[in-house]
Amino acid sequence: MLRAENLSKRFGGLHAVQNVSFTHYGGEILAVIGPNGAGKTTLLNLLSGVYRPSTGRLWLQQEDITDAPMERRCHAGLGRAFQIVRPFPEMTVHENVTVGALFGQRGMRLPQARERAYDLLERTGLAAHADRAAHELTLLQDKRLEVARALATQPCVLLLDEVMAGLRPAEAQEAVELVRGVRDSGISILFIEHIMPVVRDLADRVVVMDQGQVLAEGTYREVTANPQVVAAYLGTEAGLHA
Amino acid sequence: MDLFLQTLLNGLLQSGIYALVASGLALSVGVVGIVNFAHGEFLMIGAFLAWAASASLGLDPLLSLPVVALAVFGVGALTYRVSIRHVLLAPELNQMLLTFGLGILLQNLALMLLGGNTRTVSTPYQASSLQLGELTVGGPKAVAFAFAVALLAGLYFVLYRTTLGRQMRAVAQNRRGAQLIGINVDRVYLLAFAASCGLAAVAGVLVSVLLFASPTVGLVFALKAFAIIVMAGLGNLTGVLWASVLLGVSEALVQTYVPGGGGWSDAVFFLMIFGTLVLRSFRGSR
Amino acid sequence: MSAVSVRPTPARRPTFAWRALLALGIFFVLALAFPFLPLGDRREFLLQIGFFTLVAGIMALSWDLLARSGQVSLAHAAFYGLGAYGYALLLKAGLPWEAAMPLAALGAGFISLLLGAVTMRLSGMYFAIATLAFTEVVRTVIQNLPESVAGGANGLLVPALLGGNSRGQYLLALALLLLTVGVSLAVRLSKLHHAFAAIRQGEETARVLGVSVVRYKLAAFFLSSVLAALAGVLYAGKTFFISPLDTFSLANSISPLTTSIFGGLYTTLGPILGATVLRVAEELLHNTVKNGYLVVYGLVLMLSILWLPRGIVGLWRRGRQGGDL
Repeated sequence: MLRAENLSKRFGGLHAVQNVSFTHYGGEILAVIGPNGAGKTTLLNLLSGVYRPSTGRLWLQQEDITDAPMERRCHAGLGRAFQIVRPFPEMTVHENVTVGALFGQRGMRLPQARERAYDLLERTGLAAHADRAAHELTLLQDKRLEVARALATQPCVLLLDEVMAGLRPAEAQEAVELVRGVRDSGISILFIEHIMPVVRDLADRVVVMDQGQVLAEGTYREVTANPQVVAAYLGTEAGLHA
Repeated sequence: MDLFLQTLLNGLLQSGIYALVASGLALSVGVVGIVNFAHGEFLMIGAFLAWAASASLGLDPLLSLPVVALAVFGVGALTYRVSIRHVLLAPELNQMLLTFGLGILLQNLALMLLGGNTRTVSTPYQASSLQLGELTVGGPKAVAFAFAVALLAGLYFVLYRTTLGRQMRAVAQNRRGAQLIGINVDRVYLLAFAASCGLAAVAGVLVSVLLFASPTVGLVFALKAFAIIVMAGLGNLTGVLWASVLLGVSEALVQTYVPGGGGWSDAVFFLMIFGTLVLRSFRGSR
Repeated sequence: MSAVSVRPTPARRPTFAWRALLALGIFFVLALAFPFLPLGDRREFLLQIGFFTLVAGIMALSWDLLARSGQVSLAHAAFYGLGAYGYALLLKAGLPWEAAMPLAALGAGFISLLLGAVTMRLSGMYFAIATLAFTEVVRTVIQNLPESVAGGANGLLVPALLGGNSRGQYLLALALLLLTVGVSLAVRLSKLHHAFAAIRQGEETARVLGVSVVRYKLAAFFLSSVLAALAGVLYAGKTFFISPLDTFSLANSISPLTTSIFGGLYTTLGPILGATVLRVAEELLHNTVKNGYLVVYGLVLMLSILWLPRGIVGLWRRGRQGGDL
């Protein structure tokens, strides 16, 4: 599905991401974890097209998207939900999702996109708020909107950037259910997360990053048993089971 | 060779005024975070006040300069109180349009009260010139340049060597942080904005000597000041100096070496804006 | 489709759209009737005011079209002037006015694509400054071309439109305003509306969602500048004399901007109402305030920003989000 080959990104002398390779298989939930400053966010920005890699290649399905601009990645099937939610503030909730449905795939027509948007609002539990202004939502609703809008583009791979950040435990549980539902509809998910219980509950496979490189890869159980991973985490204030 | 040196010298002298106008603008952009589209109009007010003092009281503009600067400082402070202050947290678009409206208002108020004619100020040193070896320097130009340099030196002294200056730079870097350590941000904004207007007015006084006073005289200087601060990087005060020299010298070169260059030199700043903006946006995206 | 009936239908939105359409309809009926009224001996003068109100409406609405995509431009005087000059030069080259008018507009449209391509990545004040500078440079270029080409600083004479028939000129302006309104409504009801609004409210997010920002920004530029250039053609044909200082005057960038903001940004009705109010006020004041009537525009702009950010159409749709026409 999504395949990275030796991705590197330098900012001046700093190697933010160095020789990262991984394969993200269809239908899989892949978590990228690592201590602060490990390069997770830079990696996500390389995947979604905010930055171009200094070296390395990136493939989605059979298509080389290394240098593709963001909108082409979207058309190729890559969706992204931001850590800091960014609804279009002057639009209604429904209009927000309509934008994703309308432009995420080429050749969509407006009535069709509106219908799709309503379907997605129902699936993500936002139907009752369809006509409210986007800036009136609660944080959890905002996150749902963020996901609904990304889904509206009909991605085959969805990138989630710390979507649980700022949610209370009960809300996080709801969000976990939402993400599972998305995967069950056939979309593979790559997510960055700090909250370890969420990683444990959701991830089929985990990639651990440290200092810009891949430190370990495997199931949650495997990587948390890896002494190198434990050492990397103990070196930071966070700790693995925080 | 002499022609080339003479051209460089002319450009350098011109850049003094540019630096003065642009430093004022950089102060309001950098410290207050407001891009003041009415900056040129404060220059225009300065030019007219100098002209009025000269025409009615026979005062040499260079003597009336401190009074004019203070008066426009006051106008700037008032402007901050009644308008700018209310849009500090508004979207950038609103801030921009507000100052833009202010500029139109002031420019046309001048047009309404004084008419569109240009007013020249006559000074005893108008036609004088200095001889430096093979090079000639117009008297007013040399005086204006000297004033500009002195004022800029003063400005940089204030910014880097006094408490107020340190507060301004602190606010420019981090508004919230400055507030937390007990700086009265509103007062710093007021002073910075007013000082920015005062600087524009000083430039205006010099412009009244070099060129003339007219309702629209500020616009072209403001545009060039925008070009300079864009080149320097928004709010970067030291960058303003070299960017001013670059603009002044490039214009002088175009004037000397391009056929019919007098008319074209006014387009130089535009190319510089474009060049910088395009370069920066492309570099930033990779 | 599934479950259509369950969906909450927004009840208030169509109501407002109908009201806006109704208001537009009334405006056009009144505007159409105007030149056929017995206007008495001030007929010529009144028709002239009417004509320039319509031109101001075209300018304001076309400016608003561009602003909807987040591009707050100060280059409208440039497109207006390019339209006027293009028209004058094409007539001089021997083309009939029916051909010169659309060609001048398209020419301005293509030049706008060049500007748009360069300013594409700029936003906010950078964009405004670049467009302001662009206007100054176009003026400088026209002024400094040899006089035999474009008349230099002295300007050009332009044959009167429709042989100077005031009613005909007025109706032509009305037809072009109708065209502008048509374009605006078509944009509002199409994909373009969503693309523009998304780009304006979050350019990067729009790109992540697949909006081809480059294409839509350029489309906004093209539509807007073609319509502004048509306004410039009308101006040239009405005043039969154009000069760089008048046509490229900053005033021609300021008034559409102020008019739209005062009338109501990102709507079709707002700029037209704004143009009517401001233009008529301007004519009334013109006798008292000879020089510098733009004072009013400066004041209106400042007051609108401070106290009336949604314009006069915002007065009766207070608190509504989106969905307006």
